[in-house]
Amino acid sequence: MSDTTRTAALFGLVFAMIALTGFMQSWNVALFILNMGLISAIMALGVNLQWGFAGLFNVGVMGFVALGGLAVVLTSAAPVEGAWSAGGWRIVIALLAGAGTIVGTVMVRQRMAKGRARTIATLSILVVGFFLYRGIFDPAVEAVEAINPALQGNLGGLNLPVLLAWPMGGLLAAGVAWLIGKTALGLRSDYLAIATLGIAEIIIAVMKNEDWLARGVKNMVGLDRPVPYEIDLQNTSSFVNRAEGLGLDPATASSLFVKLNYSMLFTVVLVIIFVMAQLALKSPWGRMMRAIRDNEVAAEAMGKDVTNRHLQIFVLGSAVCGIAGAMMTTLDGQLTPGTYQPLRYTFLIWVMVIVGGSGNNLGAVLGGFLIWFLWVQVEPMGLWLMEMITVGMPEGSGLKKHLIDSAAHMRLLTMGVILLLVLRFSPRGLIPEK
Amino acid sequence: MDLFNALVALSNFVIIPAIAYGSQLALGALGVTLIYGILRFSNFAHGDTMAFGAMLAVLITWLLQSMGVSFGPLPTALLALPFAILGTMALVLLTDRVVYRFYREQKAKPVILVIVSMGVMFIMNGLVRFIIGPNDQRFSDGERFIISVREFKALTGLKEGLAIKTTQGITVVVAIICVALLFWFLNRTRTGKSMRAYSDNEDLALLSGINPERVVMYTWLIVAALATTAGVLYGLDKSFKPFVYFQLLLPIFASAIVGGLGSPLGAIAGGFVIAFSEVTITYAWKKVLKYAMPESLEPSSLVQLLSTDYKFAVSFVILIVVLLFKPTGLFKGKSV
Amino acid sequence: MTGNPYQDDRGNKDATIANPKGGSDMTPAMGTGKEMNTTDAFLVGDSMTGGYGKDGPDILHDCTIAVNPGEIAVIVGPNGAGKSTGMKAVFGMLNLRQGSVRLDGEDITSLSPQDRVAKGMGFVPQTNNIFTSMTVEENLEMGAFIRKDDFLDTMEQVYGLFPILKDKRNQPAGELSGGQRQQVAVGRALMTQPKVLMLDEPTAGVSPIVMDELFDRIIEVSRTGIPILMVEQNARQALEIADKGYVLVQGRNAFTGTGKDLLADEEVRKSFLGG
Repeated sequence: MSDTTRTAALFGLVFAMIALTGFMQSWNVALFILNMGLISAIMALGVNLQWGFAGLFNVGVMGFVALGGLAVVLTSAAPVEGAWSAGGWRIVIALLAGAGTIVGTVMVRQRMAKGRARTIATLSILVVGFFLYRGIFDPAVEAVEAINPALQGNLGGLNLPVLLAWPMGGLLAAGVAWLIGKTALGLRSDYLAIATLGIAEIIIAVMKNEDWLARGVKNMVGLDRPVPYEIDLQNTSSFVNRAEGLGLDPATASSLFVKLNYSMLFTVVLVIIFVMAQLALKSPWGRMMRAIRDNEVAAEAMGKDVTNRHLQIFVLGSAVCGIAGAMMTTLDGQLTPGTYQPLRYTFLIWVMVIVGGSGNNLGAVLGGFLIWFLWVQVEPMGLWLMEMITVGMPEGSGLKKHLIDSAAHMRLLTMGVILLLVLRFSPRGLIPEK
Repeated sequence: MDLFNALVALSNFVIIPAIAYGSQLALGALGVTLIYGILRFSNFAHGDTMAFGAMLAVLITWLLQSMGVSFGPLPTALLALPFAILGTMALVLLTDRVVYRFYREQKAKPVILVIVSMGVMFIMNGLVRFIIGPNDQRFSDGERFIISVREFKALTGLKEGLAIKTTQGITVVVAIICVALLFWFLNRTRTGKSMRAYSDNEDLALLSGINPERVVMYTWLIVAALATTAGVLYGLDKSFKPFVYFQLLLPIFASAIVGGLGSPLGAIAGGFVIAFSEVTITYAWKKVLKYAMPESLEPSSLVQLLSTDYKFAVSFVILIVVLLFKPTGLFKGKSV
Repeated sequence: MTGNPYQDDRGNKDATIANPKGGSDMTPAMGTGKEMNTTDAFLVGDSMTGGYGKDGPDILHDCTIAVNPGEIAVIVGPNGAGKSTGMKAVFGMLNLRQGSVRLDGEDITSLSPQDRVAKGMGFVPQTNNIFTSMTVEENLEMGAFIRKDDFLDTMEQVYGLFPILKDKRNQPAGELSGGQRQQVAVGRALMTQPKVLMLDEPTAGVSPIVMDELFDRIIEVSRTGIPILMVEQNARQALEIADKGYVLVQGRNAFTGTGKDLLADEEVRKSFLGG
């Protein structure tokens, strides 16, 4: 029973801290923390699936989160007029040609006998394929990017409801994860960590540079949202009346209302994913996963297909991260590839899982909330601390200015310290796996 | 004559930058591979150790410059380097004492140490940003070129110029000295041999009376020296920016793995393989081909295989290809 | 899940981040629950009872093993009798609930294996007993790591004992044949000039011809006056060269005597030597 009390107490503590933020700072900040906390919790669940259940070391979370964001643009944005006829189809053909080259190379290598002929065939297919691909791709991209470059210059999306983008984000991430898993897990012994680290960087590089896709570093702003706009609410008299009835000014009330809407949507998603993860953990499939994790050799001897099971869970976990990424981009209302950084989107999620408790879904959720709360709140706390430290220093002193300016970087330091403290004194996390 | 011009352009834009970059990667990869071989985990904090070392060098350089000390035509940073190395050594030894040693005593599994190194990475990253801030810092001074484009053109009468930056020259010279020292140490000295023995077979090393704590200490000291040197050379050659060092982690790991993890020789080879592939694949070859090809075949486009932004993709693809065909890396390291 | 959370790697085998090769699996055990002093010899593991881990089941039961200078003592017995375990207990890698280990009259029960090496015990493990990536000469050099004096004489002695090693001194030890590797392993242990040499199944996995040669070498080593304690799978051959033999059954001393006596003993022959 004490386990349950402990879990309840920890969750209570986190939500009390968020509530305290609401009372002391503002409810806007509190709801912001809550919303991003919900998204972080989902990401942590995804990583926990991979690391906690199966022991897969995925340090490319950032890539899958970004893919989720990309899916939002591709699903919900309006198609750019003329882009498809200008070059869109040619881009698709070029990409197919590129994929065909790779498939052809693999097939040649499988079919032909080892020898000089095979090497020559491989190389010639690669070279011809590459130039074919570039030959179709480059002019097509140029044509697409020439369309209204100040605002568009991309293909746009399918103009579907934005809520559909969330599962689409999961699907996109799953697809890419399948490709990575197929290559990395299929080798003699896996080297997933370095593969995912690299793939994440490549995904970000593609999103930054392929302007035809989602405008690259020029960013996509004003994405669709599944909740009403603040400005519309403020112009609705019934809403304004009700807000005034509660003693709130319409501006604050509308922004709170929007955030609350998001909170509810996110909570629904989190609950669905959490329940599914719990069911998976308790199902025969989950037991087999853990059996493989605890003794791969024995599991293999019993005829379990370890590589395929690993591939499954890798794809599933990445899909969850993709969904969370799509939700995050929807919440932000914009896609900014330049802001994706591994420390924030990969390693911070890892801190959440480790601190919460690897292998325990509740732990991952707790870690998501707790670490996100600290990530946000350490900055004002650091600022306050620095102001306390520098209170005796003369006004205008260089050191004082430097210390106060640097307070923002306290959060990285704090995350490291928290991770190390938990690893040392509670290595199984705050809510350990049973 | 045109062929000479092509050759000069090739050296100027591909060979020389790749050699310099390769040396920097090799020094970084050596540090990673030593930790992997002796402490038996991949150190995610290595990039940030490099950043910390380079930051110390920047600060000390500024101090020296403010005192009016200079190193003639060479960058002042070279004078600061030994002090920076000492500072980094102190930091990593402290880290080992406070953080890693506990897990050694617990006989923690390597993966746990990797996660621990993530924590250290956060702390070091925060520390560097806290002290010097996240922005670009320039700290190179002294003569900018060993030979500049104009001098070269005047000297040879060629249309194409060749420039060798002082930092490039220094990078190569310092890297060669470091590597020579390291190999002499590992292969000729008692302590170096004991490090190799410990990496090869820890239990037997213990039974031979090798003190593991000493081996670990020497490893950290060497890693600190290598990381700081690599960091300073990279910073001199490009510029100092904390986040860039973090991103170097990928090509550095790729170098170490391509060469064969745990093999120092492999780390060096891997560094150059990665650097040359990155530079050749992201270089716009038009300039070279213009000279090498007859007029009629002269390329109209830039002849750039991939945009520079995809250099990560290059190291990554090389990594996959090597692992597909030679899973132990080019030099037989520990099997991956 | 293991008991120690720091050793829970969740089955991760990613070789790019974790390097289990050459890692330590030696767990030093210290002290004893109850000291014992029943016999006297140069090296004696006296009435040892214990097992692996903090509270693992007992593998040894009141087992005594002893060896004196100039002697070869051999531990034989059926599979799973605790032969190697007995050796490890003497070397300090087993938790003793009862018993003592004494070397040259000094109680060393609470010393770690490394410290026992420093006290003059040479140990050749059954597997992983050489530095494969280092040359033969470097292997010997590492063997002499704790010595501060000049060890070139000892190295010459080792080369004298194992002439083949001198020819291959600059070759990586991992490239040698099985028998040669065992010679490197024994040579490495001899480099400390140990007061006693312990060999854990030195002939495991080598051909019969090589085995005979190895036994000849071991006798030669013993002639230099070093007491040798050895665990052997090939009971008959081992007992032939043994001055003293211990037959262990389920962790207990079943028979003890000179090698000749044991070979002649009807019961020993029937049960362990195949008639």
